[in-house]
Amino acid sequence: MKYDLSIKHEDTVSMRSRRTFLKSLPFLSPAFLAQRTAAQQTPQAPITANGGVDPYPIPWLDKNGSHNQPAGPNLEPSHIYHFKGLVARCSTFTGMGTDNHGNRIGFGSPTTDYGLMQGEYWAARTPQHGAFTHI
Amino acid sequence: MVPVPAAGLTVSADRNTITLEMRDVPVVDQPRWPAIDSVATPARVTFKMVWKSTGEPVQYESPTEQFRFIGARAECHLEAAVSVPSIGFAWKSDPIGTSAASFAIIGEEMNGRYYSPR
Repeated sequence: MKYDLSIKHEDTVSMRSRRTFLKSLPFLSPAFLAQRTAAQQTPQAPITANGGVDPYPIPWLDKNGSHNQPAGPNLEPSHIYHFKGLVARCSTFTGMGTDNHGNRIGFGSPTTDYGLMQGEYWAARTPQHGAFTHI
Repeated sequence: MVPVPAAGLTVSADRNTITLEMRDVPVVDQPRWPAIDSVATPARVTFKMVWKSTGEPVQYESPTEQFRFIGARAECHLEAAVSVPSIGFAWKSDPIGTSAASFAIIGEEMNGRYYSPR
């Protein structure tokens, strides 16, 4: 981080061209490596790898990378895996609205679905509590 | 999926009515979703959504996918306002009572490690 800041400062002050800057890189690299080596040797408190406290997605709902499927009969209602609690789902809205130019624009489609989950979920190897919405 | 602040969620004592209300939630406007090359533009949404149970029971369960949902069908209404500042677009829905969802449910679910087949 320190390295990045100093490069930006030097580049701005001296108004070097990008070409000059790039030429200087081979000379800067050893200094950079020296800093990295020093940083790697700095003692740090060990971190337990328990994962984050964010909820797990439903494992098989990743087709579009959104961890979601429209709400419907016999489909998994929750968006969170390892979960127990209150769930509310809805889909296929129909409604109307108006944009900032006065145009009437409808909303709603089979993919216009929303979800609410409130309760306990498992993450970071321990129970967590919270409320989440998919909008 | 975004966390819901405590003030944003109201559940009736009988758990038959749920009101979810959030303001200026950062989202992406992605009109061509789910196309892989769909452009995503930062946007904000303010909305209020109300679920009311109809009392008609529903139960969905899949031992294979490890989930069980026990609840009821519901009516759901939504009002929202959306803005996409980078393109100067804003939109506001009509009042909440004028919208409807053709499918809605409220209930209790357990899945994953909390699920056990009956």
